[in-house]
Amino acid sequence: MSKDSQMRAAINQKLIEMGERERLKELLRAKLVECGWKDQLKAHCKDVIREKGLDHVTVEDLVNEITPKGRALVPDSVKKELLQRIRAFLAQHAAL
Amino acid sequence: MSPTGCSHVNGYKVDNWKQNLRVIYQCFVWSSTAETRRRKVLQGDAGRTEMAKSCICHMCGAHLNRLHSCLYCVFFGCFAKKHIHEHAKNKRHNLAVDLLYGGIYCFVCQDYIYDKEMEQIAKEEQRKAWKLQGVGEKYTTWEPSKRELELLRHNPKRRRITTNCTIGLRGLINLGNTCFMNCIVQALTHTPLLRDFFLSDRHKCEMQSNSCLVCEMSQLFQEFYSGHRSPHVPFRLLHLVWTHARHLAGYEQQDAHEFLIAALDVLHRHCKGDAIRENDNGKKANNPNHCNCIIDQIFTGGLQSDVTCQVCHGVSTTIDPFWDISLDLPGSSTPFWPLSPGGGGGGGTTVNGECHPSGSTTLTDCLRRFTRPEHLGSGAKIKCGGCHSYQESTKQLTMKRLPIVACFHLKRFEHSAKLRRKITTYVSFPLELDMTPFMASSKESRMNGQYQQAADVLNNDNKYSLFAVVNHQGTLESGHYTSFIRQHKDQWFKCDDAVITKASMKDVLDSEGYLLFYHKQFLEYE
Repeated sequence: MSKDSQMRAAINQKLIEMGERERLKELLRAKLVECGWKDQLKAHCKDVIREKGLDHVTVEDLVNEITPKGRALVPDSVKKELLQRIRAFLAQHAAL
Repeated sequence: MSPTGCSHVNGYKVDNWKQNLRVIYQCFVWSSTAETRRRKVLQGDAGRTEMAKSCICHMCGAHLNRLHSCLYCVFFGCFAKKHIHEHAKNKRHNLAVDLLYGGIYCFVCQDYIYDKEMEQIAKEEQRKAWKLQGVGEKYTTWEPSKRELELLRHNPKRRRITTNCTIGLRGLINLGNTCFMNCIVQALTHTPLLRDFFLSDRHKCEMQSNSCLVCEMSQLFQEFYSGHRSPHVPFRLLHLVWTHARHLAGYEQQDAHEFLIAALDVLHRHCKGDAIRENDNGKKANNPNHCNCIIDQIFTGGLQSDVTCQVCHGVSTTIDPFWDISLDLPGSSTPFWPLSPGGGGGGGTTVNGECHPSGSTTLTDCLRRFTRPEHLGSGAKIKCGGCHSYQESTKQLTMKRLPIVACFHLKRFEHSAKLRRKITTYVSFPLELDMTPFMASSKESRMNGQYQQAADVLNNDNKYSLFAVVNHQGTLESGHYTSFIRQHKDQWFKCDDAVITKASMKDVLDSEGYLLFYHKQFLEYE
């Protein structure tokens, strides 16, 4: 594992242990609903299903179609805010 | 994607599979307590004796990439990198669970499958985890019951709600100076929680006669949301109101505020049946102070009154329920300014984002005056429990508990001994209102020297949004009531009896304002 992914894993572990990961997930969830991201992607999902046909579409199809769009549509402000939260958390629990 | 799952799960459903599945959900998917969270990171579940280091892929060590857990053995693998697929093929373990969302994947069907029994277990474990986390009930999408499915099949007509849809808007015919009633009806039919209560048929009537006002309200909601655009004639409602609130009977113009209070009172009394049902543990359900009916749940707040003895500084506190807050206005015979003893009135601070052209009073000013400490004077001494004698005191009102819908009544009609007149002073009111400064808890913090912390800004409990305004045009002798109501978050409509027209936010905020209805922005499920 590269040093980068080692660090990632360590941070992730800390976040989970302190329950911060759940809190961040909730915050992210709320923000994405607020800015309409969820609705946009929901509509996109429906389009994909209509295209492929309800009986033939798989979760994989949806994941492949939605992931790039989903990542692109996250507003910068949301990314900034979460990054800030994580930074603040790490500053507080700096024993890494 | 059959709802009955796939046949390949049958190989899994042997022995103690249910318990094993539960453990997987508890420890790795919906980990709830610090204990299980630590376990998620450090060790495998207790049931399995194999060594499982942590929730990372056993092949590449990554924790992102949609980690899945094999259902047959202790193995975690990335989905995105196909590590779990390799494992499934090599070991012929056909089922895995998605650690992020709890979905079960079948490698033979090559898709997520939905098995009723497994779904049931997943849901139960999720609820348990939420409870342990202290989250309580979270919003889950509606799943129709058998009865509901039946009803849906028998009634195939569907109505689609778009952003421009005007459903819920309907004019009301004036039956002879009944505009005061029409405005209140418009406000009530657009109170979101009340609408949800009635449209989901939550009222179970216990009255024998046909004179239940709650049933009539239910009918009214049906009329308003029927999609008919012609004005409704509320003659039955009017008749019922006359029957139950005699003082409002007759064809004279009445006070809309009085009508509101009378209507809430009758609805509250007629809701007894629903309230009793909610209180199974035999509590005093028909005690008017401990009612749990929808009216109380939505409209009732608690007003705290603190009387402080000026000699011993002992405080005597009472809390009274309220349905509305009546606010004095500048221009009445009782002086408005200064807002607090010792001067300092006439604000310059902008609370709640109200912009006041110099001199114009704001709703916040009125609320500040309402909650200011008031010297009761030597002519009104109160018996102090501490001093055991009559002493001068100050009295202060604050909000102990805020209702979900807060109604502010601007006292424009003066009926003093000397004169009867209408006060037309313009009072500006905001679209969004933060009630934090007027809470009893805020007053306590202020007294303890803690001023409004930054954290208070994050406290969403006291934030309100305007959703209805009732206005009065004219004089005390002859006037007309109209109302503005909000639809779809930012569309406003003016309701003038049978005529409904689109209105701008400016129209609403520039209006005089007589009754202001605010709704809590954030609701918590209990």
